[in-house]
Amino acid sequence: MVDGRYFFPHSARFVPARAAIIGRKALRIESLDAVMLDEAPLRDVRVSARLGRIARRFEMPNGGCFETDDNDGADDMLRGARRHSGQGWVDRLERSWRTVALSVLLAGLAGYAFAVWGIPAIAAVLALDTPASISKMMSDQTMVALDGAYLQPSKLAAKDRDKALALFARVAAAEPHGKNGYHLMFRGGGIIGPNAFALPDGRIVMTDELWKMVKNDDEIEGVFAHEMAHVNHAHGLQRVYEASLVPATIAVVTGDVSQVSQLSVILPGILVQSAYSREFEQQADDDAAVTIRSIGGHPSHLGDLLQRMEDKLCGKEGCGPSWLGSHPQTSIRAERLRSEDTAKKKQP
Amino acid sequence: MSSAEAAAAEKAAPTVYTLEFRGTGSEYFRIWIVNLALTILTLGVFSAWAKVRTWRYFYGNTFIGDHSLDYHASPWRILIGRTIAVSLFIGYEVSGAFDPSYALPWLLVAGFAFPWLVNSSLRFNARNTSYRNVRLNFTGRYFEALIAFVIWPIAGIATFFLLEPAARRARDLFFTNHHTFGGRPFHTDFTPWNIYAIYLFGLLLFVVLAAALAAGVWANFHILEKAHGLASNSFVVGASYAALFVAAYLFFLMLGPIINTMVLNLSLNNTVLDARHKILSDMSPLVVAWITVSNGFLVLFTLGFFYPWARVRLRRYETRKLAIMMDGSIDDYASEAFGTQSAVGEEIGSFFAFDFGL
Repeated sequence: MVDGRYFFPHSARFVPARAAIIGRKALRIESLDAVMLDEAPLRDVRVSARLGRIARRFEMPNGGCFETDDNDGADDMLRGARRHSGQGWVDRLERSWRTVALSVLLAGLAGYAFAVWGIPAIAAVLALDTPASISKMMSDQTMVALDGAYLQPSKLAAKDRDKALALFARVAAAEPHGKNGYHLMFRGGGIIGPNAFALPDGRIVMTDELWKMVKNDDEIEGVFAHEMAHVNHAHGLQRVYEASLVPATIAVVTGDVSQVSQLSVILPGILVQSAYSREFEQQADDDAAVTIRSIGGHPSHLGDLLQRMEDKLCGKEGCGPSWLGSHPQTSIRAERLRSEDTAKKKQP
Repeated sequence: MSSAEAAAAEKAAPTVYTLEFRGTGSEYFRIWIVNLALTILTLGVFSAWAKVRTWRYFYGNTFIGDHSLDYHASPWRILIGRTIAVSLFIGYEVSGAFDPSYALPWLLVAGFAFPWLVNSSLRFNARNTSYRNVRLNFTGRYFEALIAFVIWPIAGIATFFLLEPAARRARDLFFTNHHTFGGRPFHTDFTPWNIYAIYLFGLLLFVVLAAALAAGVWANFHILEKAHGLASNSFVVGASYAALFVAAYLFFLMLGPIINTMVLNLSLNNTVLDARHKILSDMSPLVVAWITVSNGFLVLFTLGFFYPWARVRLRRYETRKLAIMMDGSIDDYASEAFGTQSAVGEEIGSFFAFDFGL
């Protein structure tokens, strides 16, 4: 006998009631003064799965419903009739601290592995599979947006342009996409100042301000090689895919987007992403060092230029710690690039 | 019962039932993490069961008076719906990878299917929700959904969000006025001016915050850097700017929840069931915004593990501030007859992250 309440078929009207299984075959519902209210073969009754402390429901075939808060009593009654209520094993797992601890471990490991290997790997595959037409469309849009908001027409003299183009072609010849795989574009930096950046389709933008800071050919060749490496690895596209994969993953893990939405989805996205793009910068620096060495230059000069750019922008003490920005700390990058020079000496 | 007594009972003051959430964070944590682990181990298949268990947990612990809500969806139907949704998504992705122009027919079909998705999603959830053995239902038609979820939003964007509050109102009215409980309609109405007032207030708040931020930056620059001669990259100046922008960021994040809660209050406080039972909503926009934003940070700093407590915390507050003023008994309410329904629309909808609820 299990105590609860009985709702009449399809109705909100209810009375206090008791349920019992008769001869292992039928579920009988009686009022407290033993008047029979409902009876049905047990196999036709839908029993809800046990979950936390919520009420247990026995849905009768005629639309009546017996409901009880006595979960243990309901389980005992069903066990007596050798009837399993579905998902009982899930409930047992949910109530055991051992499986809860194991689950925490599993979810933590899976989440970590996915963030460290899964997302970058998926983004890389998607980025390299992206058709050229899409890269071009995205690059066009980015260029239009930048030209409209920040960049200005270049005021560089023709002789400087020719020189830059010649150096650019020299570096491009040593890169996998060859001379026609990359295009140099000149712009006035406006509030962006001295900078260079790559677009997914191979366009590389250099600002006049950057050109004016360059002291020797190795320096600007280093910049070109660095930006071409971004193009080769489709870093721009990878960043776009990562940006959409991170929130999507969080939504899957938490099981719904609406509740904690905005913040927990956007913020880690930004943080994780800046960690990813730091790796991109390092990869581009490393590739640039190899290219520059192969055409007989010194990677350390790129390091010098980076350091000079930062000194100009932020003063001697640097812009801030590396975990804040998308680029690794400049002094670390410069150091790394300088060590590439000696790498060359070791293996000429 | 004498006729005098009967008349008194007839006139009895309506009873106010405050909603109550009886679940706890630690209980939900165990359910959440075990279901998450099972979902990972089964490569996503178990997610359909996990979803049903989660919804049942939240509904089954939400009490109005002595009775809880209940959720009845079948995990198998949800699994089928999810499989179809994932197949469609893969089809779209693969054909788009060959040639971006192949994606166009998909988007066109999605556009036409959208109102249907909205309706079947809302209907699936309503029909699988019950209170005291009586089911809810949703009766929205294709063209009504088209107007509320496609035409109005387009009008909102086309007018640079001038019509956005009106679009929100149309969506809320569509949502509430097509829900029924035991065949009795829910009904809400409020004037466009009511909702425009809320959005104007939000705009004002935004302007005030932006002005405060600008004033802070000005003070930093002129007082700290110029008057005290501190270097722009010194610790004090850096920390001061950081504090300023973090505070501004927090306040801007709270704007959304504040507006949403005010609109929700407006809509709910005008909602009546069966022309008798009134819904009362007394959620404080500031408190909801605070809970939402602080939850976000707690979830972030615990790498997601605070999520169950965050969700329970918000639900607790919301239910505590919701009440139903019942004018007379609902004993004679009964479920309408309708067949069980497939979860395809609901799952396609939620897979593509449409949030149809209020």
